[in-house]
Amino acid sequence: MLFASLGSSSDLFSHLWQTVLPVYISNTLVLGVLVVFLSLVFGTFSAAFIVHTNVFGKKFLRWLLLLPLAMPAYLVAYLYTDMFDYAGPIQRTLRGWFDWQSPSDYWFFDIRTLPGAGIVISLVLFPYVYMLTRTALEQQDQNLLRAGRLLGLSATKSFLSVALPLARPAIAISASLVLMETLADFATVNYFAVNTLTTAVYDTWLGYDDLATANALASILMLLILFVVVAEQRARAGQNHQSNRPNQHIEIIKLSLFQQLFISGFCWILVLAGFLLPFALLVIMAVEYSNMAQLTNLVSPGLNSIEVSFYAATIVTFFALLLGLYHRLSIDKWRILPSSLVGIGYAVPGTVLAMALLASFGPLDHFINDIARTLQFKEPGLVLSGTIFAVVFAFVVRFSAIANGTISSGIKQIPHSVDLAPASLGVGVGQMLKKVHLPILRPSIFVAWLLVFVESMKELSAVLLLRPFNFDTLSIQIYQLISDEMLEQGALSAILIVLLGLLPIIWLNRSKELS
Amino acid sequence: MGANELLSVKQLSVKLHNNVILSDTHLTLNFGDILGLVGPSGCGKTTLLNTIAGFNTPSTGELNIKRNNSNSANLVVQENVLTITPFSHVEPQHRNIGMIFQDYALFPHLSVEKNICFGINKLPKSEQKSRMTDLLHLLKLTGLEARFPHQLSGGQQQRVAIARALAPQPTLLLLDEPFSNIDARLRNELMLEMRQILKQLKMSAIFVTHSKDEVFTFADKIAVMHKGSILQIGSPAEVCQSPNSWQVADFLQLGSWIPVKAINGQFQSAVGELPSTEDIDLEENTVKYKEYSPKLQLLLKSQAIEYYEGGFEKNNVQVDNISITEHGFHYLLSSIDRDLSLSFEQLSFYSNFLLTLGQRIAIKIKIHDYQVFDSYDDILG
Amino acid sequence: MQKITSIRKNLFLIFAGFIFISSSLQANDEVNVYSYRQAFLVKPLFDIFTEKTGIKVNVIFAKKGMAERLAREGKYSPADILLTTDISRLIELHDRDLLQAYSSKTLLDVIPRQYRATDNTWYALTTRVRNIYSAKRLGAIDINYEDLADTKYKGRICTRSGKHSYNIALVASMIAAHGEADTLTWLEKFKLNLARKPQGNDRGQVQAIHQNLCDIALGNSYYFGKMLVDEKQKLWADSVYINFPNQNNRGAHVNISGMGMAKYAPNNENAKALMEFLVSKDAQKLYAETNMEYPVRTDVMPSNLVASWGDFKADSLSLESIAKYRKEALKLIDKAKFDL
Repeated sequence: MLFASLGSSSDLFSHLWQTVLPVYISNTLVLGVLVVFLSLVFGTFSAAFIVHTNVFGKKFLRWLLLLPLAMPAYLVAYLYTDMFDYAGPIQRTLRGWFDWQSPSDYWFFDIRTLPGAGIVISLVLFPYVYMLTRTALEQQDQNLLRAGRLLGLSATKSFLSVALPLARPAIAISASLVLMETLADFATVNYFAVNTLTTAVYDTWLGYDDLATANALASILMLLILFVVVAEQRARAGQNHQSNRPNQHIEIIKLSLFQQLFISGFCWILVLAGFLLPFALLVIMAVEYSNMAQLTNLVSPGLNSIEVSFYAATIVTFFALLLGLYHRLSIDKWRILPSSLVGIGYAVPGTVLAMALLASFGPLDHFINDIARTLQFKEPGLVLSGTIFAVVFAFVVRFSAIANGTISSGIKQIPHSVDLAPASLGVGVGQMLKKVHLPILRPSIFVAWLLVFVESMKELSAVLLLRPFNFDTLSIQIYQLISDEMLEQGALSAILIVLLGLLPIIWLNRSKELS
Repeated sequence: MGANELLSVKQLSVKLHNNVILSDTHLTLNFGDILGLVGPSGCGKTTLLNTIAGFNTPSTGELNIKRNNSNSANLVVQENVLTITPFSHVEPQHRNIGMIFQDYALFPHLSVEKNICFGINKLPKSEQKSRMTDLLHLLKLTGLEARFPHQLSGGQQQRVAIARALAPQPTLLLLDEPFSNIDARLRNELMLEMRQILKQLKMSAIFVTHSKDEVFTFADKIAVMHKGSILQIGSPAEVCQSPNSWQVADFLQLGSWIPVKAINGQFQSAVGELPSTEDIDLEENTVKYKEYSPKLQLLLKSQAIEYYEGGFEKNNVQVDNISITEHGFHYLLSSIDRDLSLSFEQLSFYSNFLLTLGQRIAIKIKIHDYQVFDSYDDILG
Repeated sequence: MQKITSIRKNLFLIFAGFIFISSSLQANDEVNVYSYRQAFLVKPLFDIFTEKTGIKVNVIFAKKGMAERLAREGKYSPADILLTTDISRLIELHDRDLLQAYSSKTLLDVIPRQYRATDNTWYALTTRVRNIYSAKRLGAIDINYEDLADTKYKGRICTRSGKHSYNIALVASMIAAHGEADTLTWLEKFKLNLARKPQGNDRGQVQAIHQNLCDIALGNSYYFGKMLVDEKQKLWADSVYINFPNQNNRGAHVNISGMGMAKYAPNNENAKALMEFLVSKDAQKLYAETNMEYPVRTDVMPSNLVASWGDFKADSLSLESIAKYRKEALKLIDKAKFDL
């Protein structure tokens, strides 16, 4: 892709620069900052209250707050823009009640704006921050907070000046995840009529038919993301102070009744807005519009979705395991490199990735066919770019970062002495991995597999472009119906995706409880 | 509360997650004393420490803590008693107690300087500076102010933790297994050094340990805990000389145990009847220790064992193990006749006589103030 | 080691599976369609085709990147037929040399000259008008595209993104009629008249009129038809008139859905058969009716509903000559910051 961008025309670029690009760039930055800020507010606050206070219903809120992860952002964006639009049901009802006639009669926030997009995207992405912050807080050495108490701080102050700074690396990682998701998301911002750098990529590619410049713009975007990734890794370097003494009793800050109600309300609003409300809308649609025909229509795309997601999850997990163990056991000083490189894939927008894959598989396919012909075999056709191989490959590239993160954190929890013990017992490396590391890692492997599986089920843009003939997935079915303003018909598929997305969340929660 | 008392704990019991961890605990601590809480793991000593610090709330009972209200450097105590009951909790930060945690709990994101000044950051900068300088000097940390905890050795980390706890000039210092992470060779030296510092500052302290060596070196008073209650409190010498229960003597390893039977006002053991004199009223003892209890044990210190050349027919023990110590040879003896209910093993005997492994010898128990305990009961009346 | 070999074996099997699947796609009684139009909208037509000829039709639908995929696949592309929903995609495919000419007499006879490529690489299938919807509350009006810049509609106009291909084509036709400078002025004034930032789709604009957010909106003709047959949306559609602009001068701007044969179409004969079929009277009737569009054949009537909107005069300029201003149009839209 970078090569392709070298041939970009400077004319078009300067035209864009003189007209719309500055606004796009500022929109991109503002959106990124806004989403990160809001996700941090939503995520860290809720995590802090759930872990350190006696807020009402924390037993349920603890995992309910994870649910928005199961919602594809494009779905929520569509549902919300539809609902809060001038012509949407909320404003219509209000106009009905108060007998307003036109927009000049009253003020209502405009959902199709930068802040609107920022809020809705944050509602879907904040659970990343919540999840990582909560885990960090729960695993902190509670003696540090106690030390703070005895040095004269109240429980609240001790939390603010000790626990929170210590959770900073986790918060930074989650913030960078949120930022990458935001910048990589083309479809969602589109519903909000917000123009970002990604809009420019599409315009130059599809409108001006100038793929080179589009690639150049996409490269800018990726450099931006790369910068974030590096900055995040820098921030994390040398900061590793999780406690190795789990199950310490965490001091609970007692809140007044009013505070409990208020904060519980805050968390419930997040759950409601990020999951329950959109899910309820889907269910209502499904009840109103669905019939048996739709159920049967679900089968084939459902199976397709499961098939590609299954392959992708399995391959990604396998590679993540290889990389993680290589990183652990190798003494090569560049051993960190492969896993860092793989991480970038997550930040690449699906469509851009698909383009890059087409660019590399296309010639490869030609090469294969040419060879086949010279060898007098039947030409195999487009074995790479024309089959689900391409789709699975795209998923592998895109979601490796997720599996890597999960598995490498699992590997980190194995004490280093475990690497040495089997050798001292005369067991070889292969046996050691099989008998020691893999069994210990089983939960991480499973979680990684599930996360990738669900993300693959949700992924849209790459499948859209790379799929073979007559190959629909659930996400594509939804997309087609949405783009024709007929989500009602696809509500069942949407519900299915969401329900599948709930699986890893339930599992994650369950394994936490068990441990 | 007596004028000299800094802390009194009455009838304290603590429940955590519906498990009774402490029950009916009594304790007092005088100003300037260093109290060692000792006992096997799980006996509740850390819970007691945490309750005094304010991290647990009592479910019954009462704690009284005198608090040093002034921030002046010479630790003048203004009488100001905090009373803590199940119904009146005092937040940890208002108790004026310092604590040193087992893993030191230094703030990893702060430098040594910031760690030490953490508790006094409301004082004027100049005051902070002078206290820190004094503490750095006292604890031989000068020059390390800018370092971060992970750049320090274990001993240095511990000294930073001490400096941090001392900076707000607490009335009471709590130490949770303070020496468990220190190299064995350095431990004794460090304990003496720290004891000196605490004494120099007239600091009162309670520390928790499961090592009897630590408690004898470091403490002015020791309290032996067992299953959630304190069995005995006293100076190390008192406790050592007259332990009040089998558990205390056993945990502190004050000697070896040999089983005895009380018959007709006499104690019978595998090495014969215990010799009696008019000074020692055995009869009273046997009554006290439930004549027919099957689990009577005599605490036998090495110096109460007499080795004599009794001839072949009088040999009653054999040598199972020999090791060499700075006090001469250390033998572990066992009774030969294993069938008897009074037979014993692993009787420690220090001697300069040269014996060989498996050798059969004769020993006698010297007349002394016998300490017989019933190991069947947990606590003796 | 044994494990690794077994993994290798599995990978090989998977790979072999791919080859098998892909080669099965090359069978002879098939024709492969790359469609910009959603599969379910064209499927009924293909079912009839299959029934008649026994040729199976495979479809992939994508809105973005189809041309890119085709180009990358090159001579090994399985694609036979390209179906598009507007002129700009056809022009793009043509300009990238991804189409081949098919000079069938049938096609040339039934499709008017302005709706097909001069080199016979693409043909229109249906036409649709870029209409102007107006609120019924304004009464019947006579309107030109030029009037969208009229200050009397200040704050009363709604539209979807200026950069949507339907709007780009409209702007291109304005350039063809008035030149770049005047079109830019028109766009700038048009923008000032907008009731809200360009957003949503064509149906959403009608809904906005229904909700009294605006009075005038741009929209394609077929959406009006589709809304009329939708229970919920009929209410919205009932509150607007559908107007055919510029009836007293050059005529309404018309866009097309069309088809072309892929340059390396492997099933050449089947592709030809499909193309011929698609312009047959029956197919034209059905295709236009399912999509509420105007058949490109003048001798096939649109559906009764569509016919009920009345006859209209279409811009007679050939689409090729309008489409050549496409990039200029997009530049002007950027320059006017129409969407921002």
